[in-house]
Amino acid sequence: MRPRRALPVAVLVVLLLSPFFSFSPFYQRVAALVVLAAISASAWNVLGGYAGQVSFGHSVYFGVGAYSALLAFTKLGLPPIAGAPLGVMVSVAISVLIGLPSFRLRGHYFSMATFAIAALAELLVISWNFAGGAIGMMGPANSRSLADLLFRGSLPYYVIFLVVLAILLALTHLMQRSRMGFYLRAIGSGERAAESLGVPVRRYKLYALLLSGAFTALAGSLYAVMIGFIDPDSGFGVLISVNMVVMAALGGAGTLFGPLIGAIILVPLSEASNAFFGGGGSGAAYIVYGVIIMLIARFSPGGVAEWWRILSRRRVRRAA
Amino acid sequence: MLLEARGIVKAFGAFHAVDGADLLLQEAELLGLIGPNGAGKSTFFNCLSGDTRPTAGTIRFRGTEVTTRPPDAHGRLGLARTFQVPIVFDTMTVRENVMVGAFLRHAQRRAAAEKADEVLAFTGLAEQANLPATALGTPGRKRLEIARALATEPVLLLLDEALAGLPSSEVEAAIDLVRRIHARGITLIVVEHIMEVIHRLTQRVLVFNQGRVIAEGTPAEVTADPAVITAYLGRRARK
Repeated sequence: MRPRRALPVAVLVVLLLSPFFSFSPFYQRVAALVVLAAISASAWNVLGGYAGQVSFGHSVYFGVGAYSALLAFTKLGLPPIAGAPLGVMVSVAISVLIGLPSFRLRGHYFSMATFAIAALAELLVISWNFAGGAIGMMGPANSRSLADLLFRGSLPYYVIFLVVLAILLALTHLMQRSRMGFYLRAIGSGERAAESLGVPVRRYKLYALLLSGAFTALAGSLYAVMIGFIDPDSGFGVLISVNMVVMAALGGAGTLFGPLIGAIILVPLSEASNAFFGGGGSGAAYIVYGVIIMLIARFSPGGVAEWWRILSRRRVRRAA
Repeated sequence: MLLEARGIVKAFGAFHAVDGADLLLQEAELLGLIGPNGAGKSTFFNCLSGDTRPTAGTIRFRGTEVTTRPPDAHGRLGLARTFQVPIVFDTMTVRENVMVGAFLRHAQRRAAAEKADEVLAFTGLAEQANLPATALGTPGRKRLEIARALATEPVLLLLDEALAGLPSSEVEAAIDLVRRIHARGITLIVVEHIMEVIHRLTQRVLVFNQGRVIAEGTPAEVTADPAVITAYLGRRARK
């Protein structure tokens, strides 16, 4: 490992291990939520970061995963996690259905289309009484077996989420080094040039969406398992999509650890603001996110990951 | 015949940017495509590379009809191109840019990297290989686009004003590069403004004006052609 990478990696490792040495339930809960958010933001990053196709509609995949989990429980009496494979399968179908037409659009037009699709999906779910309509659905109240994954503390969730995140990041790392990673980055920074080099652009965008959507759906299922409640807003709400975009962008879109860094910064912030403002302050998050989006877009499109690169380059130059 | 374009028309509304142009290209040729601004060269060029779908006409490349096929299909068949305004992948290093091209024929990362290094050495970019592509100026970017296109191992390379806008110190090196590409057995079509470059590079030239081919021949023949002089300089210059 190059020395300039050693320090940030060490900080990351210490942060990720810290919940095991903390006895504060609040801290452990926030840590679990951080990793969960990092899963969906990292999943978003495959399409939005590497391939540069900024989706504002990933709540669709998250909601599908979350709803599949609680539908499996309320309709079939299965443990919620048993709905996760269904969620992933539905997300694949939706990826093809949404991806084929929307990938004809480029840039902002693509973003707006995904935003519109997600808004429509939320409306559909609100009027879908089979799945609880506007009220939503509850998970199991009492643990029937270990498979219900119902734990008193947050640490077990933290471990599960960490494993999923590790798998996703390992896959992303492999992808980044392979032809697919090069092709996605090429599409992200110059679609016309990529096409001229023989890159089948729409097919690779679809691959990216399949991977991205499947892991976002899995994140949704995990969310439903841990929280034990889902309604149209917490599954399909605009803020779900915006969260992924902001975390990836803040940490560094198109980098392996960027979304995780973004989640480490933002989730504690929003949890603290929720605790501070109570239920009445839920709008505050929108304001904060809006400000963050503007600041990143204006001053630092590369996100936090980029700051580190710039800082270490400066130090190297000074040392030389 | 390597490339065969017949009766190509590209209409934007009532305006015909290309209005019935033909082009026949033999393997190993180095063909020049010239014409005044707005003559339809670039539109015609984009039809050949698949970036623009012609309104009428047919294009065959290596015996396959490619008229309505997308640019990436042209790439796989062995046609590569550069852009008038270079589009480099600005989130990548110079080597990574070229690797994107190399991945077309080499699925494995290591093989693609080797191919990229070979092409970088050939195009004189080896020293800049690890720099971010954004560190290159215009001449470097044009060279990088050529390198990236060569990495796809093309049979036919289309250069869209690859020499335009270069400082005179760079023009010699660029002419040398085009010659060395041709010597490798790659067929070339060169769109160019600078007459001197065309004179020195090509044996055969097509002259475009108002969407049509108005003259064809050696550089010396076409520059003596009254129709060409009229197109470039206007009627009063013909005396």
